[in-house]
Amino acid sequence: MKKNSGFKSFFILPIIIYTFVLILLPIIYILFLSFCTSDSYGGILYNFTLDNYLNIFDMTYIKMLLKSSLIALVTTFICILISYPFALILRNKSEHIKNLTTKLIMVPFLTNSLIRTYGWIILLRKNGIINKFLTSLGIIAFPLNLMYNKLGIIIGMTYTLLPFMLLPVCSAVFEIDKSLIEAAKDLGAKPLQIFKNIILPQTISGVFNGSLMVFIPAIGYFFIADILGGGKTMIIGNLIKNQFLTARNWPFGSAIAIFLIIITFALVKVYKKLGGKMEELGGL
Amino acid sequence: MKKLIILFISIFLLCGCTNKSYDGEINVLNWTSYIPYEIIRDFEKEYNIKVNYGTYSSNEELLAKISSSKEGTYDLIFPSDYMVELMIDRNMLDEIDISKIPNYSNINSLFLKQSFDIDNKYSLPFLAATTVITINRETIKDSIVSYNDLFSSKYENDIVLLDDQRIVIGMALQANGYSMNEIENDKLDKAKEWLLKLNKNVKAFDSDSPKTFLITKEVDLGVMWNAEAIIAKEQNDNIEIVYPTDGFAISLDNYTIVKGAKNKDNAYKFINYLLRSDVSKKITDEYPYINTGLYSKNVSDEELSNILYNGSYVKNIGMNIAAYDRIWAEIK
Repeated sequence: MKKNSGFKSFFILPIIIYTFVLILLPIIYILFLSFCTSDSYGGILYNFTLDNYLNIFDMTYIKMLLKSSLIALVTTFICILISYPFALILRNKSEHIKNLTTKLIMVPFLTNSLIRTYGWIILLRKNGIINKFLTSLGIIAFPLNLMYNKLGIIIGMTYTLLPFMLLPVCSAVFEIDKSLIEAAKDLGAKPLQIFKNIILPQTISGVFNGSLMVFIPAIGYFFIADILGGGKTMIIGNLIKNQFLTARNWPFGSAIAIFLIIITFALVKVYKKLGGKMEELGGL
Repeated sequence: MKKLIILFISIFLLCGCTNKSYDGEINVLNWTSYIPYEIIRDFEKEYNIKVNYGTYSSNEELLAKISSSKEGTYDLIFPSDYMVELMIDRNMLDEIDISKIPNYSNINSLFLKQSFDIDNKYSLPFLAATTVITINRETIKDSIVSYNDLFSSKYENDIVLLDDQRIVIGMALQANGYSMNEIENDKLDKAKEWLLKLNKNVKAFDSDSPKTFLITKEVDLGVMWNAEAIIAKEQNDNIEIVYPTDGFAISLDNYTIVKGAKNKDNAYKFINYLLRSDVSKKITDEYPYINTGLYSKNVSDEELSNILYNGSYVKNIGMNIAAYDRIWAEIK
């Protein structure tokens, strides 16, 4: 027994060190920075201040936070709309097809997301494949503005983050007891009633789990806003990036980052209240 | 196992051999896409000096790299105007000994004695760039000479600007007749209003490759660095390049030697090599920035004096950058 636990800790130790050095320490450092001030050229002065946090509540930044959240919310909603039918259709398929499909969902992760995002430019731009196809068929007279606006950002975010919604929703839907739905059907329930009274209550925690995994990156993925939004729409991720690179105000950037972490924890709290299981979030 | 160890040792020794065949080395940090690889290889062959070449994509990144590494890690770097000033202030550069650079005579004196290093004690000009208006004449027939000409409702969603707050807000300031380094609030407010008005005509902000927007005909107008504009023109002959009458940004990158450099003599040899007119020409043939050479110039003297007279350097404005950053957040 003793030997076994030594063996265990031997393998767990690297993970603990990894988490401590690469995640916990940087967060502590960022927390520390967020209470400092910056000097005229991006240096850091170690005197305590709360100004960085107060500055976040400037109308300009609040507006941006709202805009950013709205984009993330729309993304999350579209992901839910796609995931449910997908999971419900897949539910009745054989085990083999289910396994294969879930694996296929993971395949895009093998390619760098930046490269996949660049791929969208070829499809969406003014003289891109989609616009050329639609104009040549005579469906539209002028090319549509599919990118370099908020639509482009939402397309990119949805595409990149969809797997994070698909996987938890699928696993929640697959767990529903088949006989419950059959019984409801036998008693004359309409599809909408079945969805509302049986499927939804049993899958809501999976949906919320997916929503967290989609919503939070969607306020931070600045490269998608840069590439598919044409740099015209700033999301919170861009604001943080700018503080570290162009504005050279690391303390303010840190304060916004900490602010985001607080929002994340608040959302996780809500998730717990709704009866979500922590282990399904990846052991947060 | 033994075989494997022997294999590793022999590889190790072989690596040692290749290193030994050089007479010395030099550690260079330069902008990405700035010197063709061929030139570095030719220098290594000719002087038998190994060039360890690293790159950066912004002055701030360069500053971070130099200040976070041990003295003597880097020998030769290429900071822009305002960064030279800052690095001199922070005592990060060594003086340049012109007597060790015979090809100094190839430098066009127009580029010497600039405000950021008035005696050229620490820096010598390498390449220059200016922002220009780029116009696709296939579709746009109206005359465009000033930033204020970009407002027409005909150009809705048809302009690409650099994703750079100092350049774009600077352009708005110049369009209103102010300096592009303005820090007064009411003038900055005017620039903000100007940009908010222009916003509906702007399709995208992009610093990585704004030329692509013109080449693929995504937009018909752009404000970008001249080298990008020239490459766009090479692809599409209908593109016209205009120096705006309101003024424009100029950026001058410089040879500077880092304080405590270990391979100073090699650095001088490399600077001297790059200043050779045929080598210098090769660089600007590949990357069409403004050549600062006398015998390798790619821009006429008349155009050069216009550029230097009407262009302004982006200056370090210290903590006032926060005001720019807020405007940037508001227009986006």
